[in-house]
Amino acid sequence: MNKVTIDDISLREYHLGNLDLLRDLRKLHFASKSEVCIERARYITAYLRDKSDPDDPPVIRQAKAINYFLSNKEPLFPDDNLLAGTTTTKVMGAPIYPELTGLAIWPELETISDRGKNPQQLTKEDADVLNLEIFPFWIDGNVMEVARKRYNNPDCQRLFEQFVFFIASKAGCISHTVPDFRKALGKGLNYIIEEAVSKETGIRQKGALSGEDQEKIDFYRAVQIAMQGIINYAANLGRKASELAEAEKDPGKKQNFQAMAAVCGKVPAGPATTFREAVNSLWLIHIAIHAENINMAMSPGRLDQILYGFYKKDIDEGRLTVREAIELTGSLWLKLADNVNLVPETAEELWGGAGTAPAVTLGGIDTEGEDAVNDLTYIMLKVTELLKTRDPSMNARYHYEKNTKEYRDRVSEVIVNTKAVPAFHNDVVDIKILEAQGTQTEHARDYAIIGCVELSSSGRSYDASSSIMLNLVAPLELTLYNGKRPVTGDKQIGPVSGDPAGFKSFEELREAFGKQLTWLIGEAVQLNEYFGRIHQELIPTPLLSAFFEGPMEKGRDLIYGGALYNSSGATHIGFADTVDSLNALEKAVFIDKECTISELLDAIKADFAGYEKLRRYLVNKTPKYGTEDPVAVKNSQNLIHFLYETYQGYTNYRGGRYRPAYWTMTNHSGQGRLAGALPNGRKSGEAFASGITPVSGAAKELTACLNAVAGLESRCIPGGEALNLKYTTVEGRNDLEKFGQTIEAYFRLGGLQVQFNIMSYETLLDAKKHPEKDPGLMVRVSGYSAYFNDLNDKMKDELITRTEYNLRTGKSVPFPGF
Amino acid sequence: MLESISNLFFFRNFRARRFRNKLVNCFQSEFAEEFLQLLLNLMSLMFYLDRDFRRNIKGFNARYLFKSRDSGITVAAVFRNGKMKVLEKEINGTNVTVIFKDHKALKNFLLSPKPDILQAILNQDVTYTGNLNYLSKFAYMAKHLQLMTTRGL
Repeated sequence: MNKVTIDDISLREYHLGNLDLLRDLRKLHFASKSEVCIERARYITAYLRDKSDPDDPPVIRQAKAINYFLSNKEPLFPDDNLLAGTTTTKVMGAPIYPELTGLAIWPELETISDRGKNPQQLTKEDADVLNLEIFPFWIDGNVMEVARKRYNNPDCQRLFEQFVFFIASKAGCISHTVPDFRKALGKGLNYIIEEAVSKETGIRQKGALSGEDQEKIDFYRAVQIAMQGIINYAANLGRKASELAEAEKDPGKKQNFQAMAAVCGKVPAGPATTFREAVNSLWLIHIAIHAENINMAMSPGRLDQILYGFYKKDIDEGRLTVREAIELTGSLWLKLADNVNLVPETAEELWGGAGTAPAVTLGGIDTEGEDAVNDLTYIMLKVTELLKTRDPSMNARYHYEKNTKEYRDRVSEVIVNTKAVPAFHNDVVDIKILEAQGTQTEHARDYAIIGCVELSSSGRSYDASSSIMLNLVAPLELTLYNGKRPVTGDKQIGPVSGDPAGFKSFEELREAFGKQLTWLIGEAVQLNEYFGRIHQELIPTPLLSAFFEGPMEKGRDLIYGGALYNSSGATHIGFADTVDSLNALEKAVFIDKECTISELLDAIKADFAGYEKLRRYLVNKTPKYGTEDPVAVKNSQNLIHFLYETYQGYTNYRGGRYRPAYWTMTNHSGQGRLAGALPNGRKSGEAFASGITPVSGAAKELTACLNAVAGLESRCIPGGEALNLKYTTVEGRNDLEKFGQTIEAYFRLGGLQVQFNIMSYETLLDAKKHPEKDPGLMVRVSGYSAYFNDLNDKMKDELITRTEYNLRTGKSVPFPGF
Repeated sequence: MLESISNLFFFRNFRARRFRNKLVNCFQSEFAEEFLQLLLNLMSLMFYLDRDFRRNIKGFNARYLFKSRDSGITVAAVFRNGKMKVLEKEINGTNVTVIFKDHKALKNFLLSPKPDILQAILNQDVTYTGNLNYLSKFAYMAKHLQLMTTRGL
């Protein structure tokens, strides 16, 4: 069946000039200043402090707290958006999760509104509530401190708190997953409640209950309580919308309030029967997921697939026009962008600028292996092209054997027009990767992207894909300094792996590196396991669990391994710099004998001051990842294999494996800032290369670069990768054709993912100098999108200096300098 | 009796002004000598004098130890029953122990224009053992004191 019926897949007749609603909502979005919202923290804290029953098991306690919050959540309609429901009480809100890392902003409560980087407005009244009522309750009770106490301030936690070795994201979230909305949209939450009641009753009828039976009963009860909270919130919204409709004089607005009141009267409690109901139901569930879990990369998934049936039925029955579908989709996009993360200023300085990365995935193939692209795919691409917002994080799957060239070229066109989104993902390889991880073929085909680039079988796999962010330069420096790092002074951090001056061969050095890397991974995994156990005790996820395959069948919460598939993600920072440094050491010391290790160490300790000749040699004459030099290919392949084998040897607390990945958000800039000079000639404090991208300036030829990245064995990258490419310009049909062909060629070679910035060095230099010129300039960082102005200077410089290629010649463009 | 209470109040007010002036000088100067003792003493007095500020330690029982890396400075702050005591000695059973390179590092750690604990830890100027949240709360109170003295909050 042909699911593409619209004549013009670019939908050229629609633009912001004739879509007044989206134009106005977009304007409001960009004009809104971010504000701290304490609503969730206040209700959750009040419940746990004043109302909770100490005899309740954790899963019930959590469900009741979420129910209490959702039932009391203020029903707000801050603008003319077509969808009811807001994540926070602010137009652009930053919610606080005090059970996680929310208390990190305590020192800033009186200055956060005026801070230099990404200020968050906070009233004195709200600051007082946080300082005097909310934060004191959690001072001994957040995940970090409970873990510290339980495990006696373990070494792995102390290592994490130095921030320069690895980041254990579970301190701040578990998140990073793709729920399944199909059951909720198609049958309604009352159906899920009935299902839970039926399961609970079935177990009770057995008579004598085992401990396991009781746990299942608790879980099913918790699901009922949590679902009822969502229904209560929708009912409150419906009542408020009715009141507003009564009072409203403007006929258009009145009609919208009436429509929202009707929608909330029906969904999400009952099944959605129209496109509008389905979109709003999905949005309300997304809000509820954020009520329970932090707003980081909770990804709606394959919306063009999930919503297509509702769209098609409405279109066929004459209830919906393409214009209305665009407006509803645009309303959802802007709602998904209505909240931001709350982090301390240093975190903003080092890593900031990220949105909340709710990833939407389009296109690809369906569970039967057939082309899944439909009219809604193109409508969603059109909305992405029109709105150019940081969130949702947009991703297009492309199956070069099943999807059409027209689809490939249309995605390319949207990337060119937005200059940044969506990212392209290779269906053929991604599906094989998931199959190799034990995912059934039909489930693998139904994968969606989490947050940045991570792969997940939609609503079946609980991946916590951002569990570990490991800095690969840390074990490299530990190797070079025999277990110490310049940034942490004279303290022995890693194992003693030998004085590098005594290494007689590159193999000896590589073994020492392996020893440090294995040790560091062990520490990171250990802490993730500790935090995972604390999450199980403190904050189970009955609400989210109801939107997955597995928990309802097994009677087990996601956090206890209830999902059909489980994994933990470990991504890596500084991959290219580490590989190039290993290349440089092998070539300079052991092949060319240009210098001894001691001399090289002296040079990097001096940040190459007085060693300019050696530095030039290291930069220009040693093999680079991103070229086809055999030394570089060997070292990059070896590292990828080593990491894969090491991580896959661990099983997490939910019974899943650890999946290595290569995306860095802005961590490559922050960690680079804190690292010393490296053997590849990189100077102290300079940003590392992003994701799996070669070091800026190292890969002069586009084709060689793509060959090198695609040549990495994809099986060993089950967590996903981010390859950043920058093109000078793409103009006209010929360029667009070449753009699409290059992507296809890269995918046929085995590349997993690619994302773009279509902007020149000069454009970005000008944007840095004149931030007022284009405040909404969106860039692709490493996995997610950001507004250029929100990034710190180091990150801006990293984006500016990224290798720029001329698509027509395939050659890199010389950097003009700052 | 009333007279002695009144005298005590004015005496503490006088001491607070003296500490405050010294602390303002300390905030504004490059030099940070005796910063910690000044900060803790003024904080202790302000809890006595300022009802709003005192709300920060209502029901707050905590023990802090601040030590310079060379062990030349050791100062403890004990919060109990709505009062704060400053002790120039080592104490046990702390919620958090802060080791700082020097007064300047500690001042930057607590009161820089960007009052952020992470940065100081990254710089290794200040390290801690124990509960980070207690340190965050202390940093908030120190920052508030700074704003009171410099902005007249």
